[in-house]
Amino acid sequence: MLKYTIKRLLGTIPMLILISIVVFSLAKLMPGDSLSGEIDPLNTNPEYIEEMREKLGYNEPLPVQYFNWITGFVQGDFGKSTKYKTDVFDIIMEKVPNTLLLGVISLIITYILAFAMGMYSGRRPYTIGDNAIAGINYIMLAIPSFVAAVVAIYFFSFHLNWFPFGGSVDILIEKGSFEYYLSKLHHVLLPALVLGAMGTASYTQFLRNDIIENSRKDFVRTARAKGTPIRKIYNVHILRNSIIPLVTFLGFDFAALIGGAIITESIFTYPGIGMLFLDSVTSRDYPTLMALTMLLSFLTLAGNLIADLLYGVVDPRIRLD
Amino acid sequence: MASSTTLTQQKKPERSLSPWQIARKKFLKNKLAMISSVFIIIVTLLSIAAPFLAQYLSPLPDIAKVNIGSMNIPPNSEHILGTDKSGRDVLTRLFYGGRISLLVGFSATLMVIVLGTIVGSIAGFFGGLVDNILMRFTDLVLTFPFLVFVIVLNTILYGIVDGLWVLIIVIGILSWGGVARLVRSKVLAEKENEYILAALSIGCSPFKVIVRHLLPNVASTIIVQATLIFASMIVVESALSYLGFGVPQATPSWGIMLSSANEPDVLQGKPWIWMPPALILTLTILSINFIGEGLKDALNPKSLR
Repeated sequence: MLKYTIKRLLGTIPMLILISIVVFSLAKLMPGDSLSGEIDPLNTNPEYIEEMREKLGYNEPLPVQYFNWITGFVQGDFGKSTKYKTDVFDIIMEKVPNTLLLGVISLIITYILAFAMGMYSGRRPYTIGDNAIAGINYIMLAIPSFVAAVVAIYFFSFHLNWFPFGGSVDILIEKGSFEYYLSKLHHVLLPALVLGAMGTASYTQFLRNDIIENSRKDFVRTARAKGTPIRKIYNVHILRNSIIPLVTFLGFDFAALIGGAIITESIFTYPGIGMLFLDSVTSRDYPTLMALTMLLSFLTLAGNLIADLLYGVVDPRIRLD
Repeated sequence: MASSTTLTQQKKPERSLSPWQIARKKFLKNKLAMISSVFIIIVTLLSIAAPFLAQYLSPLPDIAKVNIGSMNIPPNSEHILGTDKSGRDVLTRLFYGGRISLLVGFSATLMVIVLGTIVGSIAGFFGGLVDNILMRFTDLVLTFPFLVFVIVLNTILYGIVDGLWVLIIVIGILSWGGVARLVRSKVLAEKENEYILAALSIGCSPFKVIVRHLLPNVASTIIVQATLIFASMIVVESALSYLGFGVPQATPSWGIMLSSANEPDVLQGKPWIWMPPALILTLTILSINFIGEGLKDALNPKSLR
């Protein structure tokens, strides 16, 4: 297992280098360059512009530019944002907690819903309740997340007035107070609910099928023969066996949450990584754009890696070499 | 074997059904899939016929024109679904939007399936070094965070190629990885059969073996996958258009129509503008998914229904 882990970890290095080259080339191919953000926009003197180009390294050959960028990147120097005029690293770090909060809360919501539905369905397969849950999940899977988000804002924010429809915190509240965190939670709940409720289908159906399969196994028969209450068999004996394979989903959720975050954050105007990314594309803020693309690619790669490794951990029968 | 043939011959010479005929029978029996198929066919026909229907649908058949005199009219007898903030008839735009959304979805799916099948079948059939190189490349494409790269690529190509095709090409380039993996795994299993060996031994070229012998046998998997991809491509198109990174703003696609809900005023007070595209989009995706499930069931020889 250790050997396999090291092998996989080493295997990601060429992948990361390739991705970084792709990201760099794409950024260079994008219309305009980030120079316009670095210089004084009122000074149109060609000599001044040429001087700045030289100073900022835009006249170097591309491989040199790439090398400068990547060495800085590895050391945590993501460059200066052309829009905000500060370090990209600081801007990203400022938004990370918001996205993290959204991701964690939405995952918790997914888990709670999926467990409740999956356990109910698994215990009573082929009943009306089971079919209804399958139907709900099917519809949830079909509704595009941005449509769900729009409808959720329409009903819960505008008609019922339960949740705010944008932002991540009430601006009038003093930072650091208890109300501040409460307001943060209040703001994150609706986007997290939309993101979380959309992802239940695969968990629920997997859990249901696994519970049904496990309930036919010998250890269940033994437990029943010994007089263990049915409820305990389902909630303890079977569930424990059925949860393990679910762990592997976690890695893939990582990647799915990135895509989900971009759409959800932009609709709820929730200031996180996803919105920062869209913002950097529209405002041609290349250093931010490149750093975020690298970061998101890295997270996807990490998610896939975790999924693969967990796969081997939870099921030792899968021989890895 | 011989006795059974004589038995059937005594009764009545009858041909047993081909696998495709069995699949068709199973599919026709699936109520949900059939209803969905009818719905999709109606949506497709209405979308195709949009330019001819437009003049009967409303007094404002021109969807490109801004009509200042008729802005934000709620649904009434003249405008069945009302008009949007530029005074354009919502129902007419809905039909035109279907053209764009379905066209982008279909073309992107076609591209994904063709690319994925080519890469997957070559990698699976030849194996060895070719397989290794192609599959590592596939892995690389699969690690790109899809939405992030679509948005970046779309911005680069925007203006170089005609707006609509940029999106189709970009989505196509970035999403064939899954199909390639699937086709490869199917081809790997299928090429071990004796008929492939037989075809090769009588001197068929690899190209002919793949196209004539291997692909027909993995076709059912590809068809099911294509249906499900079609649904997700429509979602991708509308989501990107909603965010403002999809088809050009002037094009009436369902995603663009929905993006008017970005304004709190429209979202809250004028639901007739954004609700119809939201509903039709969801129903279309749901129907395509049901058709996909129906096809999966029908083409699976092990399912008894």
